[in-house]
Amino acid sequence: MKLIRPVVCSLVVAVTVAAPAFAALGGDATSVQADLARMKGALRMTSTAVFTVHEITTESGVVVREYVSPGDKVFAVSWRGPGIPDLRQMLGGYYGQFAQAASTTRGNHHRLAIERPGLVVQSSGHLRTFFGRAWAPDLLPQNFSVSDIN
Amino acid sequence: MRKFVALALALIQLVFVAACGGGGGYGGGGGTPPPPPVQMIATPGPPNVESLKVDVGPPGLTFPAVNTAFVSVTVCVPGSKTMCQTIDHIEVDTGSVGLRILSEALTSVTLPPETDGTNPLAECVQFADGTSYGSLHVADITLPVSGEAAANVNVHIIGDPAYVASIPSNCPPGLQREDTVASFGANGILGVGPFTDDCNSTGACPLPPAPPLSQNFIYYSCPTPGTCATTTATVAQQLPNPVTLFPSPDNNGVIVELPSVASAGATTVSGSLVFGIGTRTNNGLGTATVLPEDPFTGFITGTYKGTAYIDGYLDSGSNGNFFTDSSLTACTSNPNFYCPASTMSETATLRGTNAATLTANFSVANADMLFSNTSYTAFSNLGGTNGDAMGFDLGLPFFYGHNVFTAIEGNNVSGTMGPFFAY
Repeated sequence: MKLIRPVVCSLVVAVTVAAPAFAALGGDATSVQADLARMKGALRMTSTAVFTVHEITTESGVVVREYVSPGDKVFAVSWRGPGIPDLRQMLGGYYGQFAQAASTTRGNHHRLAIERPGLVVQSSGHLRTFFGRAWAPDLLPQNFSVSDIN
Repeated sequence: MRKFVALALALIQLVFVAACGGGGGYGGGGGTPPPPPVQMIATPGPPNVESLKVDVGPPGLTFPAVNTAFVSVTVCVPGSKTMCQTIDHIEVDTGSVGLRILSEALTSVTLPPETDGTNPLAECVQFADGTSYGSLHVADITLPVSGEAAANVNVHIIGDPAYVASIPSNCPPGLQREDTVASFGANGILGVGPFTDDCNSTGACPLPPAPPLSQNFIYYSCPTPGTCATTTATVAQQLPNPVTLFPSPDNNGVIVELPSVASAGATTVSGSLVFGIGTRTNNGLGTATVLPEDPFTGFITGTYKGTAYIDGYLDSGSNGNFFTDSSLTACTSNPNFYCPASTMSETATLRGTNAATLTANFSVANADMLFSNTSYTAFSNLGGTNGDAMGFDLGLPFFYGHNVFTAIEGNNVSGTMGPFFAY
């Protein structure tokens, strides 16, 4: 897909499926297209000059975002809503790093952050609303600020 | 060090004043202004005040507890006064709902299962840092010091061996499993947040038509522990907020009352968990300001250094104050906490869904320096990052020195509908 310069463009696609599957961190964005036939809920894409966001709202109301670089790589993911998506799927090949780091980092039931040179994951939430994001620092596009992962 | 401890103890004794007669006193007269009102911490005891203690937690934790407040809870087989066990080190959490006990800690009583009429039920719950799974049971519960009691309460028993041997695939271990005392950080958790049930206060869990994928609360019907199937739980089948089941009138909210902590920290802190708001002389709002919460999310707004953070809350289950501040460096040892070169004094303005505002002053010390004193478990100036760009979480550090009220939805509490915070 072509990136559109600073003007934001939105494409809303609604398809039906059973189990949502997401392109994993570090994975190719093209797998999202393959997943489209299997997604239930809404897919929305917005593009800037620097990155594209695929936003998927699952049936249970969790909004998942995948941040895709000009090279079509998923460099960051985020989630917000009444649940936490399966991080094994979301983090893909990065999951092992996360699991190892999480087991050695003190958090609390409402907050966990891990940081490694190759991976940052932040998870927070209480009551019925949860938020989290993860990115691979060496996959971030030029001129990108992590405050845009939200 | 001893002088410090003596001073801290004296300070605690000074503020530990019985509030049964209401009203706080301080010396006046002359031209000097009176000192600010002393924090009135209710004396533990019947009918509605439980002992609350911040300490290192039960033995064997992966991480010794920091800024975690505990009570004991007695659970009995329904109808029995002898088939009981009192479990210590149950974390008090105003950020979750429901009583959950680690199976490992429940050693001397077998509670009957909660069933859907046919099969025992189980639940998968996700916290921000992990997933806990286990069967649901029914118990008569009592808070031993206050004597507050409720019968036939649904209780989540986490990590019972027969169930965790076959964890359903949709109870993902995407976050680490917290099915043991060591990984959970306590013997259990008493969720006394501002909602009446853990998943859905007004209807079935999950909300139809969603299937329970990526849901934080998934209920299962289990013909056998190895054949659990996802199910829809009615309100009555969900995990309730135990406070709502205590005898009226002390069932509309809680107050966490913990005294101030010196800047270097403390080994333990003793205070009170008070049940009921505005129902007795020891639990009135007094001069506290009420901040009504968003009724769906429980959020208020915290404005900090010019930015309004709309995912704000006070939470006794957070062990730090977590907020975004790019001028503070995160610790290299642990990215959850800040390590400024010197202690910073910060301030925020909190606002609920009405026009009332409240100032929140707090400090942020270097977390590495705080943690270097390994005998301390309580720190009032522990701060850290918040990964939610709109998040502003005032945790237990903020509770020290404030009586913090959490009112439960559906209750008119001294003229304001819950949910709300107040201090």
